[in-house]
Amino acid sequence: MVDPHAVLEMRNITKLFPGVRALDDVTMTVRRGDIHAICGENGAGKSTLMKVLSGVYPHGTYSGQIVFEGEEMAFKDIKSSESAGIVIIHQELALIPELSVTENIFLGNEIVAGGLIDRREARRRCRDLLARVGLDIDPDMAVKYLGVGQQQLVEIAKALSKNVRLLILDEPTAALNEDDSENLLLLMKGLKGRGITSIMISHKLNEIAAVSDAVTVIRDGRTVETYAVEAGHVDEDRIIRAMVGRSLDNRYPEHEPNTGGETIIEVKGWTVEHPNVPGKLVCDDESFVARRGEIVGFAGLMGAGRTELARSLFGRSYGIHRSGQLFLHGQPVVLNTVRDAIRHRLAYVSEDRKLLGLNLLDTIKQTIVSANLGAVVRRGLIDGSKERAVAERYRTSLRIKTPGIDVGVATLSGGNQQKVVLAKWLFPDPEVLILDEPTRGIDVGAKFEIYKLIQELADQGKAVIVISSELPEILGICDRIYTICEGRITGEVPRSEADQETLMRMMTTTVGSAA
Amino acid sequence: MNVVKQIFGTDFRQFTMVFALVVLLLGFHIASGGNMLTPGNMQNLIAGNAYVLILAIGMVMVIVIGHIDLSVGSVAGFVGMCVALSARDLSFPWWAALLTGLVVGVAIGAWHGFWLAKIGIPGFITTLAGMMIFRGGVIWLSGSVSVPVPPELNVLGAGYLPEWGPAFTNLNNSTLLLGILAIAFYAWSQISTYRQRVADGETGLNFTAVIIRLVLVGAVLAYVTFLFGSGRPGTSFPVPGLVLVFLVIIYHVITQRTTFGRHIYAVGGNKQAAALSGVSVAKVHFFVMMNMSFLAALAGILFVARATSAGPTDGNMWELDAIAAVFIGGAAVSGGIGTVAATMIGGLVMATLNSGLFLMGVGQDKTQVIKGLVLLAAVAFDVYNKQQGRPSITGRLFGDRRTSESTTDSTKVAPAAPAAPGTAES
Amino acid sequence: MKRRTFTLGSAAAAGALLLAACGEGRSGGETAGGEEAGSGFEADATIGVSLPWLGTQNWAEAQAMFEEQLKSAGFTPLIQAADNKVPQQQQQIEAMVQQGAKAIVVGPIDGTQLGSALKAAKDAGVRIIGYDRLIENTDAVDGVVQFGSIRTGELQGQSLLDGLAERKGEGPYNIELFGGGPADPNAPNFFEGAMSVLQPKIDDGTLVVVSGQTDFQQVATQDWDNGKAQSRMDSLLAANYSDKPLDGVLSPNDGIARAIITSCKGAGQDIPVVDGLDAETESIKSIWAGEQYSTVHKPTKDLVAKTVEIITAFQKGEEAPATEESENNGVIDVPIYALDPIVVTEANAEEVFADDPDRLALLEG
Repeated sequence: MVDPHAVLEMRNITKLFPGVRALDDVTMTVRRGDIHAICGENGAGKSTLMKVLSGVYPHGTYSGQIVFEGEEMAFKDIKSSESAGIVIIHQELALIPELSVTENIFLGNEIVAGGLIDRREARRRCRDLLARVGLDIDPDMAVKYLGVGQQQLVEIAKALSKNVRLLILDEPTAALNEDDSENLLLLMKGLKGRGITSIMISHKLNEIAAVSDAVTVIRDGRTVETYAVEAGHVDEDRIIRAMVGRSLDNRYPEHEPNTGGETIIEVKGWTVEHPNVPGKLVCDDESFVARRGEIVGFAGLMGAGRTELARSLFGRSYGIHRSGQLFLHGQPVVLNTVRDAIRHRLAYVSEDRKLLGLNLLDTIKQTIVSANLGAVVRRGLIDGSKERAVAERYRTSLRIKTPGIDVGVATLSGGNQQKVVLAKWLFPDPEVLILDEPTRGIDVGAKFEIYKLIQELADQGKAVIVISSELPEILGICDRIYTICEGRITGEVPRSEADQETLMRMMTTTVGSAA
Repeated sequence: MNVVKQIFGTDFRQFTMVFALVVLLLGFHIASGGNMLTPGNMQNLIAGNAYVLILAIGMVMVIVIGHIDLSVGSVAGFVGMCVALSARDLSFPWWAALLTGLVVGVAIGAWHGFWLAKIGIPGFITTLAGMMIFRGGVIWLSGSVSVPVPPELNVLGAGYLPEWGPAFTNLNNSTLLLGILAIAFYAWSQISTYRQRVADGETGLNFTAVIIRLVLVGAVLAYVTFLFGSGRPGTSFPVPGLVLVFLVIIYHVITQRTTFGRHIYAVGGNKQAAALSGVSVAKVHFFVMMNMSFLAALAGILFVARATSAGPTDGNMWELDAIAAVFIGGAAVSGGIGTVAATMIGGLVMATLNSGLFLMGVGQDKTQVIKGLVLLAAVAFDVYNKQQGRPSITGRLFGDRRTSESTTDSTKVAPAAPAAPGTAES
Repeated sequence: MKRRTFTLGSAAAAGALLLAACGEGRSGGETAGGEEAGSGFEADATIGVSLPWLGTQNWAEAQAMFEEQLKSAGFTPLIQAADNKVPQQQQQIEAMVQQGAKAIVVGPIDGTQLGSALKAAKDAGVRIIGYDRLIENTDAVDGVVQFGSIRTGELQGQSLLDGLAERKGEGPYNIELFGGGPADPNAPNFFEGAMSVLQPKIDDGTLVVVSGQTDFQQVATQDWDNGKAQSRMDSLLAANYSDKPLDGVLSPNDGIARAIITSCKGAGQDIPVVDGLDAETESIKSIWAGEQYSTVHKPTKDLVAKTVEIITAFQKGEEAPATEESENNGVIDVPIYALDPIVVTEANAEEVFADDPDRLALLEG
C-alpha cells in the first residue's frame, strides 16, 4: 500500500455530521507531481474531504489519518495546513474586492519590516508571482476590477506566495468561461512542471481527461476507486460508471407515461448572460417543449445552468436576457416580471427552500397563500377564514403532516416543508410547474410522497418540469429527459431509451468538445 | 493626461474632495467679506472641530469593518464627566484625571468589543445600548449639573503653542517650525518614493510632475503655516489641532501600512474571505471597537478642556457629525471602503460649511438643511461614479446590445484587459 | 535615507531658528487688542447676540427684539442661535469676534461651558453681557441681565398658593412639584424661590406633596422637555391619584404647565391650579379659557431694552450702569441687573398686556 512516490495519503477518513455520514472510511493516495482529479456526484463528499485535508474541519472532528510528505498531520486550522504547504482554493473565491492584487496575495501573510508593511518588497514579489501565473496586470489594481478568470489566477498566485507544495482546487473552472478555463488548465500543467502537486475537484470529464494523471471517484462518502491515468487517454465511461454505480430499486411510484398531449410551453433559442460575469452565457441557445400531462426532466450537474434557465424563464428573475422566445399555447409571450409569469400560469419551486422558497418565520397558512394573496383578499384586507380554508384544503390534498396550519414552517421536516412550498405554488393554479431539485434534503419516504404528488399533478393536465442532478430520480419519474451541460441542451431522450450512463455522458460533455 | 495624473494623484475622488474644500474656503472667504481665511477664524475652525475629527478617525475604521458606533457622543460625554469628577471629588491632579478618562474610554471600548467580537451582537445594537447606558451614566454621575475641569487641561482644548525667540518674520515661531518640518518631510517622502520607483524599474514616471506636485503642496503648506502663524500674538496653530494632526499621522500609518490596518480592510471587504486567509475577524472587531471608544474618550477630554467644564449633555449627537464626516469622505455603508485622510477632508468640508455659514449669518435652520444636502450630494456623487463603466439598470432590463458586444469582446482577450477603474476622465 | 531626513529636518529647524533670531519677538501680551474700559467704540459697531436656540417663544421674541432695538440704537446687530448645542455656541461666539463684534450678548446654553470662547473674546477686547442666564466659571463677563430668578420662583410659588385659595376652597391641598432643566443654572433658583414660599405651608400641613418628591433632582425636567414632564405627570397620577384629587402643581414654565394640564385631562382629573413662566401664546389662551391658572411674564422687551442700555453705555465709553446685586460665578463677582417679572392671571391679563398688541389680540380672539 505504501507508495514511494506518494506525497499525500489519506487513510480511513470518516467524518460525521449530525445524522449524516458524510465521509465513510475514505482512503486515497496522491503521488508527487500529479494532477489528481476527484470526481463524484453532487453531495458525494468531495468538498468535505478537501475541507478535512485543508484544516477547515480541524483534527479531532474526523477520524482517520492524514500523512503528508511522510509525516502524520494534525491540522487545527487553515493556517497550520498552509504552513505545511497545503493550500486550498475554494469554489467561492476568497478575495477582498476593495484591496489591491498585492494586498490580496499577501493577506494574512503580510511582508512586514519594522512593524510596517513593506509595500515596495510586496509589490516586487507580487510582480514575480503574477509573472509565474502568466498575468500581466498592475499589482496596485483593486481586485474588483479583474475578471473572474483573472481573479482565479490571483488566487493561484496567492497560493504560490505561501510556498505551496500541494494545491487543492475545488471546481476551479465552475465560474469561468471557456477561454479562461483553458487558460487555467494550461497553468495547472505549468505548475506540475515545477513540481507542485494539485488536487482538482471537477465535474467536467473533458477537463479531467485533458490534464489529470490520476482519478479518484467518490460516491456516497466512500472511495469507489483510485487509479492512474494518462492525460489525454482517460476512459470517461469508467469514471461515469463509477460515479453512478448504484442500483435502481423501486423507489419510484408506478406511473403511466404521457407524452402525447398538446404543447403548452415552448422555448426557442433561449440565451442568457450571467449577471456578474460579462460574456459568460448561463443559457446558450436552448430550445425545448413541454406538453400537457407530461413530466419533463432536466438532468444536469450543479452549475450546468439548470436553475439559471428556470429562473430566467420565470419572469426573468435571473441573468441578463440576450435572445430567445417563449411561447405559451403557441403564442409568443414576454414575461418581464415574476408577476407576469404567475399571471401566465407559470410556477417555479426553487431548489433552495430555505433561501428562496420559504420565509422561515411564517406559518404554514401564511406561506401557502403568499404567491396568490389577491385570491384571499376581500375589500383590501386579508380574509382570515378564506386563508384558513385554502390552507386546510392543501393540507389535506398534499397530505402535509402537521398539528395545524398555524404552525411555523421552520418546525416542519424537509419533506413537509417541500409540500408547503408546492402548495404555495399550486394555489395560483399554474399550467406549467417547474420544480428545481424537488427532493433535495428529503428522506427516502418523503421523496416517494413527493413523486406521487408530481405524477398526480401531471395527470391533472399540468406540464411539470423537474430539474435534478440525481439520475435515478430523473429516470424514475420523468417521461422525457433533456440533458444540460454548461448552459447548453446536450440531448433529448424519452425515458424508454435512457439509462444512467448515457445521461451522465451527455451531462458531462459539451456539444462539439467530446473526447 | 498622464502627467496631470501624476501631479494630482490617481485618486480622482480624493482630489475632487480637496478641490471642493478649497473652493468652499475661497467661496466663503469672498462671500463673508474676507472673514473666512483669517488666522483667528482658521484657528477657531481647527480647535472647535478637533473633537469631531478625532471621533471621525475612529468612526471610519468602525465603518470600514462594516459596523457603526452610535455611542461615541455618550462615551465622550461620560469620559469628560469622569475626568471632571475625579479631579473635583477625588482630588486627582490633572494628569491623573486625564489618565483616568483614557482608561475609562479603553474599558468602555473593551465592553463594546466584547459584545461584538465574542457574543456576536451587531455593532449597531451594542453601541445603541452603549449610547443609552453612558448617556444615562453621565447624567447620573453628574446629578445633571455641569462640573468644572482642572484649569491645567485648558491648554489641551484651547491652548496655543509657545512664542519664543525674536520674530523676524512676524510669525509664531512654533508654527513656523512645524510648517518647515512638514514641507521638508513632504519633499523628502515624495523624492524618495520617486527614486524607489525608478530603482524598481517603473517606466513612464515624470520627474517634472513630482516637482510640480512638490511646489503646489509646498505652497499650500507654506500658506497654511503663514495663516496659522500670523494671528494675534500669543496665538499659533492650536494645540488641539496639533493633537489631531498627530493622531491623523499615526492612524494613517496604522490603517495603510500595518498588518492590523490591512486586516481591517480585509474584514470589511469580505469577512469570510478574510477568515479563510487566516485573519482573526474577532480580534479585528474587538480592537477596532476598543480603539473607537479610546478616541471618543480623547475627544471628550479635548472638549471639556476647551469648554472648561463637563456638562450632562456633552456629546449629544456627536456620533452623527462623525458619521457624516466619514460618509462625505467616501466610505461605504457596506464596509471595506474609506480612509482616514479622506474622512478628515470630509470632516473639514462640514466644519468649513458650518463656519462659513456662521460668518455669513445664515441661521442654524438653514445650515442644517445645507449640510444635509451636501451629505446627500457627496454620497450620490460616489454612487454615480461607481455605476460608471457598468451596464446601467435600464441597460440590463432591456438587454442593451451595446454593452453585450463590448463585454464579449473583452473576454476574447485572455487575460482580458482590465477595465479602467472609472477614473479615466481625471 | 533615514540619515537624510534627519539632516533635512535639522537644517530646516536651524533655518527657522536663524530666521527667528534675526528679528524682534512678537509681543506675547494677553490683551493686545484689548481696550480699556471707558474707551468706547464706534456708534454703528457690530453687536453680537448669541442665543441658545429659537425653539421657544421667548427666545424667538428675543431675537426679533434685539434686531429691532439694536438697529434703532444705531448698532449693527449680528444675531445667531445655536440649536441648543454647546459646541455650536462656542463657535458662534468665536465667529462673532472674527467679524469684529465690539460687544457680545450671550444667552448661554450651559453657562459653565463657554470659558475658552469667552476668554478669546475678552482677549480681543470684546465686552460680554450675559442674557437671561448666569455665565459661570470665567472672568470674561462684564455683567448679566436677567429677571431675578429667585424672585421669579417666589412669584410662582405665591401664585400657586393664591390660585389654590381661589379655586380649590379650603385646604389641605394635594400638590406636586416640577422643576426645570437641571443644566440651566436658573432652574434650581426658580425652585428654591418657589420652595421658600411653599415649604412653610408643606411643613404646617396646608400643602401635601402626595408623591413625597420634593427634592430638586427628583422633580427636575431634563432639558426642559415637555414630553418628559408629561410622562412624569402621567406616572405620578397613575401611582398616587387614582382615589384622590390633585389640587395644584408647581410648574417651572408654560410648556411644562400645559404638559401637566394635558396629562391631568387624559387621566380624567379636574384641572389643578398650575402656574407657569414666559407668558407663551398658548398659555395665555389657556389662562383666558380658565385652565392654566397663571404665568409669570418676563417681558422680553424690557430685558432686551436693559441690555441695549448697557451696551450703549459701553459704546460711549461710560461705566456700566450701577447695580447693587452681584453673584459669584466661581471666578469673579458678576454684576447682576435684575428685573422684576409680573404674575399674569385671568384677572389682570388685559391690564398687563395693554401695550403688547400681539398678546392682547389673543385675549380678544
